[in-house]
Amino acid sequence: MAVAAVATPAAAGTVSGKLDLPPRPARGVADPKGFLERIENPYKPAGDVPVAPFLVVVLDGEAKPSAPPQVTWELAGESFLHPVIAAPAGAEISIKNTSKTARMLAAVEDGKLIPPGPINPGGPKSFRVTEVGKIYSVHDSEAPHLRGTIVVVATPFIAYVDDAGHFELPDVAPGDYKARVFYKDAWLDVEQAVTVPTKGKVDVTLKVLAFAPAAKK
Amino acid sequence: MFWSKIWLFLVALAAAVAVTIALVLPRPAQRATLEEETTRLRVACGVVNVVLSDNARNRVELVGTFAREADVEAALGDASGAEKLDDNRMKSVRAIGQRLMKSIHGAQQPAFAILVDRRGRVVARAGVEEDDYGDVVAGRPLIDDALAGYLRDDLWLQGGSLFFVSASPVVKRESSGTTYAGAVVLGYKATNEVASKLVISPNVNVGFFVGADGVATSTTVAIESSPLVASVKQLTGPELAEDCRSNAPVDVPASGETYRAIAARLPGEAGRRGAFFSVFTPQPSAVGFMATLKQVTKSDLGGGFPWPLVGGGFVLALVIGIVLMLLEADRPLRRLTADSVRLAKGETDRLSETAHGGKFGSIARSVNIHVDKLAREAKSAKKDFDQLLGPAPEGSLGTIDLLAGGLPPPRTGAPSTPPPSEFKFQTSAAPMLPSRPTPVSAPVAAVAPPRAPAPAAPAARPGTPPPMPGVAPASTAPMSLRLDDDILGAPSASISFAAPAPAPAPAPAPATTGDTGANVDPYFKSVYDQFLSVKKSCNEPTTGLSYAKFAEKLVKNRDDLMAKTGCREVRFTVYVKDGKAALKATPVKDE
Repeated sequence: MAVAAVATPAAAGTVSGKLDLPPRPARGVADPKGFLERIENPYKPAGDVPVAPFLVVVLDGEAKPSAPPQVTWELAGESFLHPVIAAPAGAEISIKNTSKTARMLAAVEDGKLIPPGPINPGGPKSFRVTEVGKIYSVHDSEAPHLRGTIVVVATPFIAYVDDAGHFELPDVAPGDYKARVFYKDAWLDVEQAVTVPTKGKVDVTLKVLAFAPAAKK
Repeated sequence: MFWSKIWLFLVALAAAVAVTIALVLPRPAQRATLEEETTRLRVACGVVNVVLSDNARNRVELVGTFAREADVEAALGDASGAEKLDDNRMKSVRAIGQRLMKSIHGAQQPAFAILVDRRGRVVARAGVEEDDYGDVVAGRPLIDDALAGYLRDDLWLQGGSLFFVSASPVVKRESSGTTYAGAVVLGYKATNEVASKLVISPNVNVGFFVGADGVATSTTVAIESSPLVASVKQLTGPELAEDCRSNAPVDVPASGETYRAIAARLPGEAGRRGAFFSVFTPQPSAVGFMATLKQVTKSDLGGGFPWPLVGGGFVLALVIGIVLMLLEADRPLRRLTADSVRLAKGETDRLSETAHGGKFGSIARSVNIHVDKLAREAKSAKKDFDQLLGPAPEGSLGTIDLLAGGLPPPRTGAPSTPPPSEFKFQTSAAPMLPSRPTPVSAPVAAVAPPRAPAPAAPAARPGTPPPMPGVAPASTAPMSLRLDDDILGAPSASISFAAPAPAPAPAPAPATTGDTGANVDPYFKSVYDQFLSVKKSCNEPTTGLSYAKFAEKLVKNRDDLMAKTGCREVRFTVYVKDGKAALKATPVKDE
């Protein structure tokens, strides 16, 4: 779970929302596969591809983090608890390895982003991201299945989505925002204006037409 | 010799072809052996792939059975609903796993079992890290697929070991419906025993590798894996099952030997990290010519072996060779030999040039040319003697005559001459040679250069003094040695006798003084005396003629003649020629 530590404004509202998701993408072929093709069990149809862990909702606005926040990114074994996180620019990201296996993580886009050396079980490893809009793919060369994505944003208001598509952003400073959705490794073509009152709750429904990246403007 | 040479060439050509065939024939066999070995490796590699796939199917079936256990369904269903996992739950679930593992016997018994709840958390482990739980294993493709409802297999690398793993979803079946409760993973370690069970062909070994590290092998031979790693890196096709057919065999050193190996990629997570397997076998020994010979057995040389063809060919080649040798070498050589013997015996004066063909004819011509040369030289030598000694006296032992008589006549000459074995000086042991009744042979006279006619017998000339007592009668072809006038004491000191005076004869005291008596050679003295006597009898002056000068001249001429003819000694004969005293020298050579 990612935790954004930001200063709570004196007057703040809560943005509660739901993603109106399209049908989930079909599960691709097993990759990598074993000697055999996988076999569907005879009792229950195979489940869809989970999308919730890969979705992030952010509110872009004028409000900036008062202090560089710290984001904890939990490595819970063979995967990150949240495979995709968003971090405000200047935030310090601390990877906490709660598994029993040491990992050698590195960012594909910037080999110096994560300090070299193993992240031992229980031990954190911290680094800072600064460039807004930058997307980092983090992986372990010895565990190809272990992948994570960091997207650097200019706002402290970041929310993660549950399996039903719900999300909630507490303590949002009043103002006008633009709600955007990030999925896996790209921004989706979703952008909605949100006005946060001084006090109270705003319900937002963001309609996602497809799990496809937004066309570059 | 032409056909003999042609035949030798053909036989040598046939031998060269036979040797070439003998050396070349093992090469296709060697190639066939390698191809056969490669095929054997490919087949073995494919079989290993098939067996591994078959084992994977069995493992998937087994894990499905494991996952359908009611205890497993219930335990994982409860765990999935729990926010936090604890030791008690872990131990109870682990006990279920251990019990189920023990119920599996033989090769199907897994090395470990992992029971995972619907959230991807490890509820319990059995067989490996049994006290660890709570960590999330979701994220691994095998687990994700199992949690999504698929049964499948994979290969994992754990702690440097390779595991064949299979997973199945755990579906909780209730009257209200079915829900996913989690997944079960069974793991099988790739061990040397597992590798040995994959060996289906004698001498073909199986090994599992992760990069350059060997993780399991069916043999104790430690093979060098770097050639295999390089070989695997060249494999880029999407179908791993094709690797056994598409990958080229490589030679791999191992424990001082060389092995021939084919490597094929392994699938799954481990495959992504460079895991592969290899089948390898000792490289077949080279099949060279000698190695082929060593493999020949008695049965190879019996039965259908074409001995009649080989033997017949050999005999035919031998017969043709012998016949050609007889026709072109032996018989002509025998003819030339016989001809040469006839020449040596004097039965013929030259070798026949028409009776001998080819090289033998050339030999005959060369011999004839040399014989002609010798004849010319002899003729020249005789001429020299004639010039040196003058015509030989009648009946004397004409050295030149003897030499000329031993040589064949010129090509255009007439009758044959005595055989070479008779080429020798006819000498006499006696100091004074008796006159020969006739010339040595008619041919000598024929080939001899024209000489001055032999002086007539002394009696035929009036006023000629009678022959000196003891002096041999002059031959018909006297050979005189004209001494210098000053030696003889007068310009016309050369005294000719009608016939050679017998020597030695007592002579009167010399007309001149100067003879001291010391160092007087009795023979020269007797010749001197005879010469002086004949000279006086011919009314020739003897003034100035002294023994010392006479002997000195005789010694000089004797030495010259001995040097030129190689004779042992020289005899001097006094005779009368043209009414004057004369002297002839005769070389004497003992046998």
